[in-house]
Formats: sequence, C-alpha cells, structure tokens
Amino acid sequence: MKILVCISNVPDTTTKIRFAEGNKAIDTTGIQWVINPWDELSLTRALELRDDPSNGIKSVTVAHVGKADSEPTIRKALAIGADDAVRVNAGSSDAYFVALQLAEVIRKEQFDIIMCGIESSDFNGSAVGGMIAESLGTGSVSAVSGLTISNNQPVMTREIDGGREVVAMTTPLVAIVQKGIAKEPRIAAMRGIMMARSKQIRVYEPVPVEPLTEVQVFEKPAPRAACRFIDPDNPAQLIDLLQNEAKVI
Amino acid sequence: MMKVAFGQTTIFRRPVTGFFHALVFWGFCIIIFGSIEMVIDGATGSERVLKFLGPVYDILMAGGDIFALLVAVSIIIFLFRRLFMHIARFEGTEMKRRSHLDAAAALTLILLLMISLLSMNTGYSGYRNLAGGSAEGIYPVSSLLVLLFPGLGSAGFHTMYEISWWAHILLIFFFANYLPYSKHFHVFMSVPNVFLSRLWPSGKLVNMDNITREVKLMLDPATAFAESASDTPPERFGVRDAEDVTWKNYFDSLSCTECGRCTSVCPANITGKKLSPRKIMMDLRARMKEKGPLMVANGRGHNDNRSLLRDYISEEELWACTTCNACARECPVNINQPELIIEMRRYLVLEEASAPGELKALFSNIENNGAPWQYSSEDRLLWARELEFKVPVMADLHARGEKPEYLFWVGCAGAFDDRYKKVVRAFAKILDHLKISYAVLGSEETCTGDPARRAGNEMLYQMQALQLIELFRGYDVKKIITTCPHCYNIFSNEYPDLGGNYEVISYLQLLDKKIADGKLQLNGTSGISSVTYHDPCYLGRANSVYNEPRSILKNITGSLTEMRRNRSYALCCGAGGAQMFKEAEKGDKEVFIERTEEALDTGCSVIASACPFCMTMLTDGLKYKNREEEIRNLDIAELVALSMKL
Repeated sequence: MKILVCISNVPDTTTKIRFAEGNKAIDTTGIQWVINPWDELSLTRALELRDDPSNGIKSVTVAHVGKADSEPTIRKALAIGADDAVRVNAGSSDAYFVALQLAEVIRKEQFDIIMCGIESSDFNGSAVGGMIAESLGTGSVSAVSGLTISNNQPVMTREIDGGREVVAMTTPLVAIVQKGIAKEPRIAAMRGIMMARSKQIRVYEPVPVEPLTEVQVFEKPAPRAACRFIDPDNPAQLIDLLQNEAKVI
Repeated sequence: MMKVAFGQTTIFRRPVTGFFHALVFWGFCIIIFGSIEMVIDGATGSERVLKFLGPVYDILMAGGDIFALLVAVSIIIFLFRRLFMHIARFEGTEMKRRSHLDAAAALTLILLLMISLLSMNTGYSGYRNLAGGSAEGIYPVSSLLVLLFPGLGSAGFHTMYEISWWAHILLIFFFANYLPYSKHFHVFMSVPNVFLSRLWPSGKLVNMDNITREVKLMLDPATAFAESASDTPPERFGVRDAEDVTWKNYFDSLSCTECGRCTSVCPANITGKKLSPRKIMMDLRARMKEKGPLMVANGRGHNDNRSLLRDYISEEELWACTTCNACARECPVNINQPELIIEMRRYLVLEEASAPGELKALFSNIENNGAPWQYSSEDRLLWARELEFKVPVMADLHARGEKPEYLFWVGCAGAFDDRYKKVVRAFAKILDHLKISYAVLGSEETCTGDPARRAGNEMLYQMQALQLIELFRGYDVKKIITTCPHCYNIFSNEYPDLGGNYEVISYLQLLDKKIADGKLQLNGTSGISSVTYHDPCYLGRANSVYNEPRSILKNITGSLTEMRRNRSYALCCGAGGAQMFKEAEKGDKEVFIERTEEALDTGCSVIASACPFCMTMLTDGLKYKNREEEIRNLDIAELVALSMKL
C-alpha cells in the first residue's frame, strides 16, 4: 500500500500576523513557515505504520501545493521520514483550488490511503479533505483520531458524541485526520536531515482551476480592552456600564 | 593534576575518610620501594640491595614501617565502615554481592600485607639486635613491637622474618594478579587517569565536528539542498554501544573504584531517580568486558544484538541527568560521567529522533521561534517597556554608526518569563545608572542553543550558534555581559569551538568589580534580616564563580548564611540539562524541594539566586512549602537595585 500525506505550510504559531495588498493578503515578510500541526501528526502516524513491516506500507509520499519558496517545509517532511514528495507549482488560492490540484496528483500517482489534516492552522477552512474525496469519487472518513491496518484494510477510529466509532473501509480512501492520531509529532533525526537533501521532489505544473472564493478583506480581532476599575462607592456607574456599554443587563 | 593525584585534594572533599585514604595512598607510595627491593633481592639473591642509598634508605624504611601501621589502622577503619556501618553510598542497584565481596577482599589483602610487613620488620629488627649487629634501615614501629616478644631468641626472630618475608612477597604477587579482576585496579589506573583528564571547565561539552560540517552545508544556500558532499556514510552520532566511546571514557570506567561519591552527590539519585553516575561507569566497563573480546575475535563489526544503551543503561536514567557536574567534581580520579550521558543523549536524539515529548516540543520551539517557549521574537523587548529610560537596541545604534562596548544578552527567560523580566529590568537600571555603554539585540536575539545541546540535539545547537556568531560578527561584538549562567557558560566555553570568541562577563563579575572600584555604593536593604545564596551550577561548578556573589551580598547584608551544601558542593536546583522544560523522571522527591528545604534550614528571610531557572525552581519550592508569604526569592541584581534604591 502507498500512503499520501497532504501537507500545508502555515506560519509558526507565534507569528504576528500582518496584512498586505489593502488587507487582502497576508504579509509574509519574516514569517517562519512550519508544517501544519494536523498534517505533521498525520505524517507521524503514516511513518509509524510504514515502520512496522506487518502493515505492508510500501512508501509514504508527501504532497504540497505551493511555489518553490515552500520547499524548506517539504524538506522538513522528508527529513522527518517521508520517502519522497510532490509539489504542485502554484500559490494556493483557496481550498477548492488546492483540493483539485491534489486530486490530480493522486490520479496520476495512485495512492491507497490519502491523509489530510482536518484543518490548517492558518485559515482553518476544514474543506480540502472532503473536496479531494469528492473530486476523486472515493470515500472519506472525517475526524479520524486513530488509524491502523488490519488484514490489509485501513481501520479508523472517530470520536463521536459520547463515544467512539470504528470504521473499516476499502481503499482508496481519504482519511481526514484529527489531533490524537499520533501522540506527538515526530522530529527529524540527523541522518534523516542528511538524507532529505538527496530525496526526490517531483514538481507538477497546476491544472487550470478557477478558485471559488475571493478574499474581500482580512481583519484582526479587536485587541482585548484594558480592565476598568469602578469605584466601590459608585455602584450606579457599574450598572450604567453593564446596561449601556456591555449590554448584559 | 599533581594536587589531585599526589595531594589527594579531591579525596579530601570528605575530610575524615579522605584523610585515611590519603594515609593509605602515601603509605603505598613509600612502601613500594621496600617491595621493589624485595623483588630484586628475591630474584638475584642479594640482600637489602637498596641499602647503598644510605640515609635515604633509612628514611624509606622508617617511612614504610610507620606507614605500615597507619595503613593497617586505616584499613581496619575502612573494613569496619564496609562491614558494620550502613553507609548509603556503598549501596545501590549497581552494587551487587560481587562488588561488596571484592571490596572486602581487597581491604583484607592490604591488611594482611601490612601485618606481614610489620612482622617481617619486627623479625628483622629482633634478630639483628640480638645478633649484636645493627639493622639496615630504621624501624621505629617494629623496634617497639620487638619488645612484645621478650622470650623470642635470635633464631625465633629470624624464623619470624623468613616466614613474614615469604608471606609478604606471595601476598604482593597474589594482590598484583588479583587487581586486574578487581575494582581495586584503580591503584594502577587512577594516577594516569588524573594525569590524562580534561583541562577545560566542566561546563564545556565536546563539539561534534561532523555535525558542524553538516550544519555549515545547510546554512549555505549554495549547498543547502545539494546532495551530501561526502559520499562516505557518516559514522554513528553519539554513543550507543561500547565501540562508540572514546578511549578516555573507557579509561575512566577502568579507573572507577566504585566509591560512590558521584552517586551520593547526584541530585537525581538523591531524590530517588534511577540515575546513578557510578552505574554508568560500571556499565560501560561491564559492556566493554562483554563485547571487547567478541570484537577482537570476530572483527569490529561484530553484533551480539545487545548494546550499552538499553541493555545496560536505560533512557530513563539518561534523561534524569541535570548536567550539574556534581558527580564529576566529586570523583577522586577525575572521571567525567556527564560527558558519557550527553553522548548517549546525542545518539538518542540525532540517530533515533527519540526524546521525552516535552523536549521534542522544546526543539520545535527553538527551531521555529528561537526560544524554548512559544513566544514571538517580536515580543523580546516587552520587558523593557516599563522602564523610565529607553534600552538601547543594537540595530538602532548600528544604523546610527555607533558601537556599544557591551552586548547585554538578555536571554529567553529575561525576555519572556514574567518573574525574571523583573531581574533584567533591575540589571538594566544598574547599567543605566553606571552609564555603561551597552545595547541589547531585541527581536534579533534567539536561543543560544544551550537546552537543545544538553538534551542531545547538537544539530539544533550548532544551527543557533552559527547564526548568532554571524549576527555578532555583523555588529562586531567583542564583549558580552549576561545575567543567565547558561548563556554565560555557552558563550565563554562552547562558542569558541565554532569560531565565536568573545570576552564574556557575568553580571555578578561586573557588579562585584564596580563595587570594588567604588563606582557602586550599596546601602544595605531594610527588611532583609538574613540571606542565603544558592550557587547556580553553571556559574559555580562549571565556571568557578563563587566569590563574586558572596562579596556583593556581604555589601548588602551583614548576615549571609550558607546552606549545608554550598560552593562546589552546592546541590543543583533541578532545572539544568534541559530539565527545566520537562517533567522529572519518577523518584520520591523533586530536586527543587530538596534544595528549597536546605535553604529554609538556614532560617533566611531571602534566598538569593543568580539564574532564571534556579529562580523558577526555588520560587516553586517556596510555594510548595507554603512559605512564599514570609520568604522571598530575589536575584542578586534585584537586591543590588533595591540597595541602590533604583
């Protein structure tokens, strides 16, 4: 079996987000890009499955839609242990665009298990996984928090309200992965980092896809207001503020 | 080295037993001349061949005679301690029945050697006196012992001499042949081991040059994604098994006498964790003994499906080390246990990408946002916002074409830890008051790589270090002043290996100097009745900064009370070696509680500290003991600022 892990590169969580182009784009200057945490966990689980020979996983490939400047993120995935990588040479415009590019890669290269993080920590759209499955016409399981191979068949665990659901499915399938799929993200070993340099990244040009969405404007949440102190001798002011400003009474 | 070997200085760190050991050592040094003479006499049929030395011979014989008694007494005391007193450091999981038997056998042999030597000398003095001739050499103790045998005639004393001579020489040969199988082999190995010991400060780790090569390839855009320059598969990173250790590590393990001084001062071991530095050394020796002959017989590549790591030493033991260097400081024969522990951590991280989960997160944070915690580097100057003056930033000065004398290295704790921000603010106020020319890096500052390095991630450390060295080169940094002992240690001892040479000054050294020069006037502090000082391992043991903090504190308070374990004996707070960023291994106590209790025992009202990690630990300790209302934990910079009313 072959596994494909779709990876998105996102700004590191400590990044101070700023906007550019009239608040229609993210200002990328000085941003440290990392693998989307959900994808990193997917990759970790895929490698765990591959490393146990009884699962019969032949290879783990990572795929990413992005320009050449995103290659460090792909190399990171290779250093962690992916066997090879695919990059679709296009800036990612929206979930639909990305999903269709990835679907095209899957059609070309044929994978048995396709793993996607349930969301990415930049736009949190939670749409790509489902769209890939739809575009390929294969089944998908969402919010997967456990994945094992039993008798050559993927078995997935999903957290559901008040319990847990275990699903077995035929391949190919798209597993849309939730946190919990792996205990903690795997880190790169020195040898992995050295080997990553010579691993292959296949670059495909994008297929023409019209994005379905267009960003009108980005806005930052209002900064948290400073704490205001009210004189204990002036309860009327408190009531006034609660009634007219906070509008809670 | 001469002091440690022949002066027995490290042995004297435990004065009473140390004294008796020194007697035995010095005794052996002098008795050996008599033994050499006996071997020559026995082999050539000569008699007292060294007597031509004249007065020197008299001294050697008299010394040997007196020391024979002193050694015998010391050995009886040692045997008593081993057999009847339950001394904690003689126990431990690594101390099997064999080890105890071995110790007792070695001591008994020495005792028999001394008894036979004394009776030989007694017999010799006796028959020489009765025969009317004078003895060759002087025997002060034996001449008195002769008086114990008033009825024994000349022939009797001669027989006593002959029997004792043979008994003594046979014991010497037996002992010499027993030694290689015994921990007592240290009589051969320890002096060379001390002579061959490393001379640099104990805080310095050995640089991995093969990693430097890789990191330089990575940092250079031209080669970053090129195929590896060298086609030869690189050797193993770190230590997994016997064949990966250096000859010095092995020498160390052969010199180990299993005295357990290392283990008895190990903060992890004291608090019930599995780590025992003595076990690390004994395990290496045992593994070498097991695998060495197989490798000799079957070639270097021999694989017996066992390894030092895991089959002998568990990961749990390795991750419990705080790299406080107390074990290495205590070892009478200069064994370096932490070096081997770090090498095995290096193997785990670099080869297997294996580390406790919190440390993996630590690595990711340093790699992604340049700090052990998840904070943006843009927030690195927030600590300075509340100050009444503007803290100069290197980039601004550089843009104006100015150059400060010092780079003030704030460190990640100074930038992000709310409690410790107060400390760097206090120190900045002092710098400002003293009108010292300095600047900080602000958002350009990034982790020095210290916690990563001590957690075994040499690659990440070198990435950080090489980038910082490049940044410093751009600003032509010559002098670095810092409040963090870990940053101080890594800049002074470890960056030079990567080409970063700076004059590194601890804030305590600067403060102490300014006080001595009269530039800083301290006026005591009201409300502080008594202070105790906690030595950070990376200022104290690692870099011998002991006097400066004490001298500063004496200018602030008249009452400085030392904890039971202080200066080079100080107990670690429990946070070093990247322990700050992970949960402690299973034990029966937290190290920081043990240390806080010791501080509380002094009856102090303030615990003075000089390290951000120690501060976190001791403050937590005070909270745990519910004493944080009455007793404060303040950094020396804060105490100085208080005293100056800044």
